[in-house]
Amino acid sequence: MKQSNKIWTIMSFEFITRVKSKGFIISTILAPIFLIALIIIPGLVASFSMNETSKHIAVIDQSSIVVDKLIQDDAKTFFKSNSSVDELKKQILNGKLDAFLLIPSDVLQKGEVTVFTPGGGGIGYIEKIDKIISDIVREKRLLNAGVDKKVINIVEQGIDIKSIKVTAEGTQKDYTEFFSIFGYMLGFMIYFLMFMYGAIVMRGVITEKVNRIIEVINSSARPMEIMMGKIFGIGGVGLLQVLIWVILLVAVTVAGGSIATMFIHQPSLSSMPQGAAATQIKGLPFDIPQIPIGVWFAFVFFFLAGYFIYSSLFAAVGSAVDQEEDAQQLQMPITMPLIIPILFMPAIMANPDGTLAIVLSLIPFFSPIIMTARIAATSVPLWQIAASVVLTLGTLFLCIWFASKIYRTGILMYGKKPSFKELIKWVRLAK
Amino acid sequence: MKVLDVNSVTKVFGNYKAVDKVSFSIEEGKIFGLLGPNGAGKTTIIRMITNIFAPDEGSIKIFGEDINSNSKNQIGYLPEERGLYKKTKVIEQLEYFGRLKGLTRNEAHKKARYWLEKVGANGWENKKIQELSKGMAQKVQFVSTILHEPNFMIFDEPFSGFDPINAELLINILLEMKSQGKTIILSTHQMYQVEKLCDDIFMINKGKQVLNGNLREIKKNYGKNNLIIEFEGNGNFLRNISPNQIIDYSENRAEIKITNYDEAQQILKNAIADNHITRFEVEEPPLNQIFIDIVEKNRDEYETVK
Repeated sequence: MKQSNKIWTIMSFEFITRVKSKGFIISTILAPIFLIALIIIPGLVASFSMNETSKHIAVIDQSSIVVDKLIQDDAKTFFKSNSSVDELKKQILNGKLDAFLLIPSDVLQKGEVTVFTPGGGGIGYIEKIDKIISDIVREKRLLNAGVDKKVINIVEQGIDIKSIKVTAEGTQKDYTEFFSIFGYMLGFMIYFLMFMYGAIVMRGVITEKVNRIIEVINSSARPMEIMMGKIFGIGGVGLLQVLIWVILLVAVTVAGGSIATMFIHQPSLSSMPQGAAATQIKGLPFDIPQIPIGVWFAFVFFFLAGYFIYSSLFAAVGSAVDQEEDAQQLQMPITMPLIIPILFMPAIMANPDGTLAIVLSLIPFFSPIIMTARIAATSVPLWQIAASVVLTLGTLFLCIWFASKIYRTGILMYGKKPSFKELIKWVRLAK
Repeated sequence: MKVLDVNSVTKVFGNYKAVDKVSFSIEEGKIFGLLGPNGAGKTTIIRMITNIFAPDEGSIKIFGEDINSNSKNQIGYLPEERGLYKKTKVIEQLEYFGRLKGLTRNEAHKKARYWLEKVGANGWENKKIQELSKGMAQKVQFVSTILHEPNFMIFDEPFSGFDPINAELLINILLEMKSQGKTIILSTHQMYQVEKLCDDIFMINKGKQVLNGNLREIKKNYGKNNLIIEFEGNGNFLRNISPNQIIDYSENRAEIKITNYDEAQQILKNAIADNHITRFEVEEPPLNQIFIDIVEKNRDEYETVK
């Protein structure tokens, strides 16, 4: 039988038994839920605490120009009080009042306001008070100075910066911020997938060794075939899982978008420069520009390449030990280059065209995470992409070669946990 | 026809010679016992035959051909240390192992069912290994190595984990395979099974050959046979035998140490002249005894050299 057939047999067995397992089904469903929860919950919590109505703040307005505006702004929180300062202090101590605000009559001249609180309680509402009173005071001062109401409106209107990206196809709305976050997400996802599936390969190798299944398979197929079949099979599981997630994501955004457009009228779309509207997924509360197909290609390529690099090394570690606990120390040289890019990510995303970003994205062990993030976040020059692809592929073959040497010796070795020195010896001695 | 021809094979691990210039061959249709104490080099020899690794020196031929990528499919190998996927169904594992040996899924499925039935394991197809007892799992394991019905099989301690009834079942299957002209290497420490099953044996100790040949011949010529003779008469013939040779003597029974069969014939001739012989038996040493003798002799030699 040809060698490829054995790899195919091993690969399909690994793939099918894993895809059929409960673990796969659960993780495929739970991971997106977990991810969505991770994005939504902090937002929900934040908006929830912003609108919090539990605070009760009394306002003593000796100038009588501010309090009405405050109540108009947030009637649930603020109420007018004619009590004395001492009386209100008592109420705070009793817990009947969360805070009170003393606005002196000379607020327009001095611009000073005092908040009495029991201490703690966050700065959120103080900032809010600051902003409302500042606006009122500014407006009054300008009015008193004889400034025209129209001018005041102009001053208060504030500024929105719209950034427009210039491309050969014309101008379009710039999504720099979105793409930075998206790049970060993709990079992190590759990190997560490489780590998770690499560890699955390692655990698979250890299980076969501990249960002595490897002794049986070894008499049917060559170690290289066993290792590659396993890596391909589990990689296929990873790819399937990623595809399910991407399809789900696209389906949710499209379906969610079309439902939302029935309710939300978006005038901004029509006023946008030509080219932008067409590349936008409509209807979400925030814009998602269409992601260039090249980014997805880069994502899939670097996920697979990175997976092959790391999973082959994980397989080598798995083959060298008798139990999972022993793998900890030998794993170190693999987990370090996995974690380093994640540590550099914020700096790289702040300046994805900088020297640091370019250098790190060309290091093959970092490329899968950093180059994918950069490709999503910025326009990476072609030579850099080409260089990282060549270097990554070269490293991939080197890692598989190196790992297979350790693997073929490791799966036959039981007993003492080998040192790095011994692993290198295995590589040198293997013919 | 020689199914296996091992020619002056050496395998070195680092500074340690695991197998040292070992040669033997196996004829078709024989059960061949591969014996030796733990760590003697048996597994290393088997791993070279199954092409898990290559010898450093010498050559191995299977069915007259050098070992190649095809030879793995022609061999069925039951390793001493063996296992199955605990969470996978019996039939799925058997299909997998069958396909690894070159069967199609369909063939593997059919043969798996046939063999499960044969070892009395029908109805286990959809059970997971973790639901089976050790003996049951061993049956499945055995089926997994012979599923592709190879003409050459290697069984390393095949009886471990089996109760006497299942061991008997296994023996019958081995004998049936032999009668079909299949060739088997049996590596085991259970000398009783070897005496019962093997035609030829090869014994290795510390990487070197210590015994090789037909089991009957080896036992016959081992030089430690006992002659038991029971008689009615004067017993005068015993006077011609050196007292050192007489192990046990009573009124009409003697146990005599002999070195070869001719000696036994001579004693019989002398005895028959004026005695009535009621029992005459040359007792071969049990293989167990030979095994222990050789290993201990080797150890003594090793100690002296040291």
